Amino acid sequence: MTASTHPFAPEDVMAYLDGELSANRASGVVAHLRECAECAALAEHLRDVSNQLVNWSVEPAPATLGKSLDAVRKDRALSKAEKPKGFGAWLDGKFAPLKHRWVLGVSGVAAVALLVLFLAHTNLRRTSEVHQFTAAKSQYEELLARREAANMASSLETNAPAPPPSASTGSAAVSTDDQVAPLNGRNLTEFTRLQVVAQLHTAPMIARTASVSLIAKDFGSVEASVKAIVLRHNGYIASLNSTAPQDAARTLNATLQIPSAQLETAITELKQLGRVEQESQSGDEVTKEFDDRAARLKNSRATEQRLLDLLRDRTGKLSDILAAEQEIARVRGDIEQMEADQRALQTRVDYAAVQLSVQEEYKASLQGAPPSTLTRLRNAAVEGFRAAIASVLDLGVWALRSVPTLLLWGLALFFPARWIWKRRRAAASQS
Amino acid sequence: MTSDEQLILDLQQGSDGAFTELFLRYHERVYAFFRRRINDAAQAEELSQETFLAVLRAATKYEPRATFRAYLFGIAFNILAAHRRKSASASLSSTSTPDEVSAPSGTDPATVMYVRQAVERLEASEREVLLLREFEELSYDEIAKILHAPVNTVRSRLFRARMALREILTTAPGNFGGRK
Repeated sequence: MTASTHPFAPEDVMAYLDGELSANRASGVVAHLRECAECAALAEHLRDVSNQLVNWSVEPAPATLGKSLDAVRKDRALSKAEKPKGFGAWLDGKFAPLKHRWVLGVSGVAAVALLVLFLAHTNLRRTSEVHQFTAAKSQYEELLARREAANMASSLETNAPAPPPSASTGSAAVSTDDQVAPLNGRNLTEFTRLQVVAQLHTAPMIARTASVSLIAKDFGSVEASVKAIVLRHNGYIASLNSTAPQDAARTLNATLQIPSAQLETAITELKQLGRVEQESQSGDEVTKEFDDRAARLKNSRATEQRLLDLLRDRTGKLSDILAAEQEIARVRGDIEQMEADQRALQTRVDYAAVQLSVQEEYKASLQGAPPSTLTRLRNAAVEGFRAAIASVLDLGVWALRSVPTLLLWGLALFFPARWIWKRRRAAASQS
Repeated sequence: MTSDEQLILDLQQGSDGAFTELFLRYHERVYAFFRRRINDAAQAEELSQETFLAVLRAATKYEPRATFRAYLFGIAFNILAAHRRKSASASLSSTSTPDEVSAPSGTDPATVMYVRQAVERLEASEREVLLLREFEELSYDEIAKILHAPVNTVRSRLFRARMALREILTTAPGNFGGRK
């Protein structure tokens, strides 16, 4: 059945039987079915299929369907009618299985008791951690102080040969390298130091900087006071520059490194040296940077150890051994660089940088009494003599500069002028 | 006689009798809807109950833009789809045969089985269109909305389903006593 032979598609015939065609189109299909036996047969087939499907009947719905639905509806209606509103209703709805309120009460008390126990346990553990952290921190600070002292001592003895390790005497001896000697019976190794640092990192690592500008009346004592303050707070002066111009206020610019824990106290003392003109503080959190570097350092150390193990345990060609040693040297260089960066970063955290600028309070100097007449006359005579000398010198200078030019032009013009003068005198004599 | 659409509007106003009337009118057809698609009678009953509860819950959302019949079977179809997702074996597409063919009195169980097996052999998309048209008596447009398909697609699928079913029924062995 095609559109060329039938004006309607088979689906149209089906749609007509299903009552899905408009009245006009349905009448067209009806007319066509009268004329076209093929389409009439199709319509008959479609009706036949529908008639056969009618035979697929199912059993009646069970009576329990209506009853169970009624029960559900009654429950819904009852709950809707008696359902109180508000939080209590919500609670009752949520805990509907708990029909007895005492069960709910006992459950609540038990939940509260568990919560209290949990919080108490957490606080106890946190207190214990704080104690451990405080002890480790004080231990670390003591180590840093002793190491600083050792570094200062070694800097004083830079020309002297380094003593052998066995030369360390007493329990308070501290070596100047990274290895830490026993301190008062406590052996705080580098590993322990890193552990302490790691614990310290539970708090953010802040590299603090501050800037203070002062106007000081008593400028003469400022420098000494600054040095005393820095010494008192176990800091050091990174740079100090003092200027004393003749007709201007004296200034002092210094960069101070103060232990971060004592920064506030030190600044308070510095501010007492004069009138504060400007003050600022800032902090740069370097926790992530420190942790990243620590992780890279750890990886590099592991790499170095693996390379060393490889070099020790394996045998191979000379070129391979050389390549491994080159790689070890490179990794060792990286490690040392990272350790230096790490120490510098730690120093930035341990010591706050204070930019101190002190300016003397400027006092305009009073003008003295006007000079006497004799002095004025003497000064005038001296100035006149100087002016005469200067004029003579100026004339001499002018002469030396101009005479060669004048001579040149005089010689050039002398002979023509002389010839003209003779001609005119001869003419006058003839007349 | 009050129309279905008026009854659902009455239900929106809180009329309990309206729901009872709708239930009486349609519970057999809804049950048959599920029963023709699910082998388990208990599940068909449960899904039928769920359908009417859904009608009860969603009565306020009904808008008189479609017939209640289409609205009802749309809900039933969605519940059936959810059920099929949960349990694929419960659908008609399952290859398992029903353990027991229950037929109404006066109907030959063999005839029911024969027609059912013939329908089961149809392609799923065509079979669903055929069932919605033949048993739920939905229009092409209503079927298209339920299946989220164009009307022309519905018409094509229905035609192919009918022709395929006729082919199956006519070429099968003649144990179908109900054939004309």
